[in-house]
Amino acid sequence: MKKLFRDICALICSAALVSAGIAPAIASAEPYEVYNYDRWGEAIPSQAGYIAERAVSGYDLGVGALSEPEDIFIGGDGTFYIADSGNNRIIAADAELSRSVRVYEKFTMPDGSKTALSSPQGVYISADTGLMYIADNQNSRVLVCDLEGNVGLEITKPESGVFDQNKTFFPQKVLADKAGNIYVVLGNITTGAAMFSPEGEFLGYYGANRVQPTSEIVSRYFTNLFTSDEKRSRRSRNVPTGITNFDADEDFIFTCTSSSTQTADTVKKLNAAGNNIFANYDVTFGDYTPMYDTTQNKLLAPAICDIDIAGDGNINCLDFTTGRIFQYDEDCNLLFITGTIAKQVGGFSQVTAVESDEGHLYVADGQKNTVTVFAETDFGRAVHKATALHNAGYYEEALEPWRDVLKYDGNYRRAYIGVASALLRKGEYKESMRYAKLADAPKIYNKAFEGYRREFLKKHFTAIAAGIAAAAAALVLFGYKHRKKRKEGAHHDGPETR
Amino acid sequence: MMDLRPAEWVGHAVFHPVEGFEDMRWKKSGSLKIAFGIVLLLFLSEIAYGRLYGFQFYAPNDKLFNIVPYIVKTIVLFAAWVVGNWSVCTLLDGEGTMRNICVYSAYALVPYIAQTFICVVLSHFLIRDEYVFLEVIHVIGVGWSVILIFSAIRSVHQYSAGKTVLAIALTIAAMFVMLALAVLVLALVQNVAVFISTVYAEISYRIRV
Repeated sequence: MKKLFRDICALICSAALVSAGIAPAIASAEPYEVYNYDRWGEAIPSQAGYIAERAVSGYDLGVGALSEPEDIFIGGDGTFYIADSGNNRIIAADAELSRSVRVYEKFTMPDGSKTALSSPQGVYISADTGLMYIADNQNSRVLVCDLEGNVGLEITKPESGVFDQNKTFFPQKVLADKAGNIYVVLGNITTGAAMFSPEGEFLGYYGANRVQPTSEIVSRYFTNLFTSDEKRSRRSRNVPTGITNFDADEDFIFTCTSSSTQTADTVKKLNAAGNNIFANYDVTFGDYTPMYDTTQNKLLAPAICDIDIAGDGNINCLDFTTGRIFQYDEDCNLLFITGTIAKQVGGFSQVTAVESDEGHLYVADGQKNTVTVFAETDFGRAVHKATALHNAGYYEEALEPWRDVLKYDGNYRRAYIGVASALLRKGEYKESMRYAKLADAPKIYNKAFEGYRREFLKKHFTAIAAGIAAAAAALVLFGYKHRKKRKEGAHHDGPETR
Repeated sequence: MMDLRPAEWVGHAVFHPVEGFEDMRWKKSGSLKIAFGIVLLLFLSEIAYGRLYGFQFYAPNDKLFNIVPYIVKTIVLFAAWVVGNWSVCTLLDGEGTMRNICVYSAYALVPYIAQTFICVVLSHFLIRDEYVFLEVIHVIGVGWSVILIFSAIRSVHQYSAGKTVLAIALTIAAMFVMLALAVLVLALVQNVAVFISTVYAEISYRIRV
């Protein structure tokens, strides 16, 4: 009887211990541990900025199963366009993703004939021209049509001498800028995106990646100095990886490159001249440490396969390797990491595209054949609000939002930087120093300390001046006495030494 | 003349770079206790430099703190210097004993230690724009110590200037040799340890079965 009682006690105790141990894990509904990176690049637990709401399949939209959805685009009116690649169609769905409003399967060519798509991989609606651009991959063409499906322009492989005629023409992604110029990502072109005029004339390439100076390439450069032209022509050439995907905001085009070998230029922000604004940023896009795959016994480097620029300037990068969305602010500070490889809602098997609107992320999965909808959490909203104010230069206005962020997540380093910057601007140097120290931000600490020191000197000037004067007087007096003593001493042993 | 207490000899040697060590040798002065104290201060100064420097200049990573590198780059390095110098200069007709080499070299480190402590203290009062002051102090301290080391080695072995340079160069080479041997021995010991632990594990499994 006594033993039974003891056993029951032990059981209750251990149950209490276990439940206490896993309580924090239960708090988040995601099928993964949410994390972020600290100042030293170490992964630390964090709060979720987005949580998965639901996964939308083709049946939910009333169009039958999707097959390998390759691209999502949200038009100016909130309509979703999904490139349903395996079913050779473009699906337009309403803003809530509750039903499809139109399915584009057949298009009318200018001469009145009908044409069908073959494995469309990219779709883009220009807010300026109101036209739909489709990368019709297996038909080797780009279609430009209105929203009724009337094709206005068909771009096929350019005849131009600039375009290497030995290369195939398989458009993967397409977009258009404000002027109506059309940019096309081609599968086998490493010199950037092909650029076409609004009339479909080939203009050249835009935004090539750089060759990364790895040791192999440097050594090849030196051996090439001594090899014959014939031999050189047969060696593999140093070419960068071609860009994989892109997105545009008002003024810039953002490209991403998914490559297992290349680590430079995986994400670029290109201006109209094709220069990369991010070239000198010290940022690693994706995870800092490569993921270890136990089934293949291999390290898997991040592969950013899609990029999306949100309306507020945040950059969403989709990592194919880990199934994670890395959200950065406009200055490339990591905000959130969302998603994983998993069976549950919120996990993926083969991500293909990411898109965002106010408060939501949409991720297409090419194997699950769904579009997963993520909703911004309270924490995410707080961070976005604070970041937007901070990046616009409203440091003081961002103070309270940053403090809200810290209430949710005391590990969130950006918030400490934000609070320190705001307090610095307000002139509360002492507090600013404290937060800068918590944020491990010596530069802000330096500025705050400068102000603190100035105020301190101003406040205690009389005391300090008096102290220095007293010290100088004491020193002079002491020196005088000391010398006198030494002189006396010298007199004493003077005769002995001489 | 020159009836100084042991602690005063440190000051004399430091402030008379040319003749100080010669005087010390002449008077057979220099305390091993003080020398060890100075090396301990060197160790403490390096820790202060790594841990207590003004935050506006440098943010240390608290998670990665390890005392061993600090011991190696101060105490072990100094010991290697003394042993290396003794072994080289014994072959080069040096007159210094191991004790004297240790004492004189330690005394020569005083300006370096002083500049480290001064910089650590000042770094809490200066901002980044005024970093040049710290740099100047650093350069003066290091230069002074280098001159003192040169003078110390010259006096302790009674060398000419050229031979002192040669001796110092050879000492540094000897230190590298010692480092290589130490790494070798460490690797060997580790292998032996792994071997013994493997054998032990194997036997203990057998016994259990």
